[in-house]
Amino acid sequence: MQPQLKSKVRCADREVGEVAKVIMDPLSHEVSHLVVSMNGAGERQVSMGAVQTVTDDLVQLRSSSSEVMALPPFKREDYVTLHEVEIPGLERHIHVTPGEVLVPFPDLERNVKRRKFFANLTYVTGLFIGLPLAFPVLKYLMKPMYAPLDNRWLKIGNIGKVKVDDAGTQFKYKRNVKEAYMPEAEIEKNVWLVKATPPVLEKVYQGKDMEFRDATGKAIWTNKKDMPYLAFSGKCPHLGCGYKWRKHKILGQVFLCPCHLSIYDASGKVLEGPAPRPLDLLPIQVSPSGEVQIIDMEFKAGTKSQTRIV
Amino acid sequence: MSDSPSADTQATVVEKVFAFVDERVGLKLLAAKMLNESVPGGSRWAYVFGSILLFIFIMQAVTGVLLMFYYVPTADHAYASTQYIIHDVDYGWFLLGYHFWGSSAMVICVFAHMSQVFLWGAYKKPRELIWLVGLALFAIVMGFGFTGYLLPWDQRAYWATTVGVEIMDKMPLLGDFMSRFLKGGPTPGQMTLSRFFVIHVMVLPAALIGLAGLHLFLFRCAGPAGPFRGTPVELKAKTDYFFPRQIWKDVVGMAVVFACISALAFWEPVVLLEEATPDPGDYHPEPEWYFLFLFQHLRLKMFSGEFGQFLGSMLLPGLLGAVLVLLPFFDRNPERNIFKRPFALIGWVVLIVSILLFTVSAIINREYLD
Repeated sequence: MQPQLKSKVRCADREVGEVAKVIMDPLSHEVSHLVVSMNGAGERQVSMGAVQTVTDDLVQLRSSSSEVMALPPFKREDYVTLHEVEIPGLERHIHVTPGEVLVPFPDLERNVKRRKFFANLTYVTGLFIGLPLAFPVLKYLMKPMYAPLDNRWLKIGNIGKVKVDDAGTQFKYKRNVKEAYMPEAEIEKNVWLVKATPPVLEKVYQGKDMEFRDATGKAIWTNKKDMPYLAFSGKCPHLGCGYKWRKHKILGQVFLCPCHLSIYDASGKVLEGPAPRPLDLLPIQVSPSGEVQIIDMEFKAGTKSQTRIV
Repeated sequence: MSDSPSADTQATVVEKVFAFVDERVGLKLLAAKMLNESVPGGSRWAYVFGSILLFIFIMQAVTGVLLMFYYVPTADHAYASTQYIIHDVDYGWFLLGYHFWGSSAMVICVFAHMSQVFLWGAYKKPRELIWLVGLALFAIVMGFGFTGYLLPWDQRAYWATTVGVEIMDKMPLLGDFMSRFLKGGPTPGQMTLSRFFVIHVMVLPAALIGLAGLHLFLFRCAGPAGPFRGTPVELKAKTDYFFPRQIWKDVVGMAVVFACISALAFWEPVVLLEEATPDPGDYHPEPEWYFLFLFQHLRLKMFSGEFGQFLGSMLLPGLLGAVLVLLPFFDRNPERNIFKRPFALIGWVVLIVSILLFTVSAIINREYLD
């Protein structure tokens, strides 16, 4: 049988202590050494070769007590516990609990510096693989994210459709989109047109022409303050839903967004609801024959200031 | 062994977070269990291929996911979207090239890994199950190569698939069903592309992740086999742990493989042929190099006619597969030294030489085709 932990240990002449730990051989899966706690005089490591007999609670050694005392003290740091090492099937071979069962830390592994050094080299090699990929992968993913802005004028219909002053009229129009490898496709968009009376125009322009500039600051177009037609982007500045011209029980005719109930008057001013800024005005021109053209723009939703994204 | 901070230094935030997690899940013990695996006889360069395969798979998964950001698996846009990746997207040519050459690296390392296990006799008791799961993983890797080849939808892709599926058609009983199942009809088209795509990006990765996990679990159950010679005392003196020396060798191997694949992706970028059509034009169909030997041996006279075809495309490969599956069960001699296993050594040499011969002769044959 295997020596039990806490068993008494007796030498040829007298009892010297008890079994404190058991050391397993990682290859043969057998108990190779006992660690004997010498009744307060430290611990000694005794080879199984020195064991004469093993009974339930006693381990009898061949050597004398003075021989055991003369052994060097047990060095705990040269060993790891079973929990810290992976040796398949080792647990099945031991029947010595309760207590600590040890496995020798391999001779080749005792140099702490080398373990640290190799760990650091491993990280460096990981960086060698990971770092050169980080930038290309980012650029790869970014390819379609920042499409250039398109400042073409789009014909959207005839102004004759607008019948009432200071009221919203929806104009639907088609826009050609070419995405990556897909063939050119048409998407449907809309803007809201308002033929504004002078008080509404004053609210919108506050006596100043409105200039539109591109990202580099170059002027694209100026909406004149006395031109009565206003074009609002069809996208609600709150979170991008499509709003409608609707009758409100208290406020009368208003622009109303069905998503979060932002309400705007005919000048685009926020009357109620969570919207952070007025409706977005677009560049507009109306030809003598009544042909309406706009520059299709979209702005980031949910911000107080306008940031153009399309 | 322990590197706990000395009492006078304050624990950093990282150390505190680590201690917090360690207290709850036992990280240190887990890390110790993972890293302190005894390697009988010590670490070796011959053992690096398993880890390298795991690394290549992870990189294939990463580059594959990145490619799917732009690729669409439709017959009318697969080719255009692949060309878009190569020519328009920043570094798209590199990521596609890495994925392409990564598959070749995977096949080479699978061969190296299997050869190492075979020559070291590491498939023998108690490691039969690891070997069997490994064979399934090998089949999955070849399946990845076969299904991925169609996705760019150029002439090479279309014709390699046509021929490959025709070979599958020769399987007894199930052949017709299997080839129709893969093609999604009688001839290759959109249904084929959809099927190959979903097999390539969903079915095979899931199978590979599950089986690779099982492979590792079984490996940890049985433990490393170690060298095939040396007395227990010699082995014990040389034994070290998985960390650091074996991990270090594994990591160096990964870095070398990474550098090789990157270099190939850089200097030999993927160039597509014309878009796939059922009219081959001037194109001579040919599979990827690691299927060339299979392709070439079907040109031999002995494999002509219906029976010859069956012999060459089904029976021979099937027999080879059966031998590999049954190997650990009829080879029950515990001797692991390859120099004392003449049949094993001769069999391995014959297989490798004939694969090389057929591959080289397929390459030479190209010149007679123009």
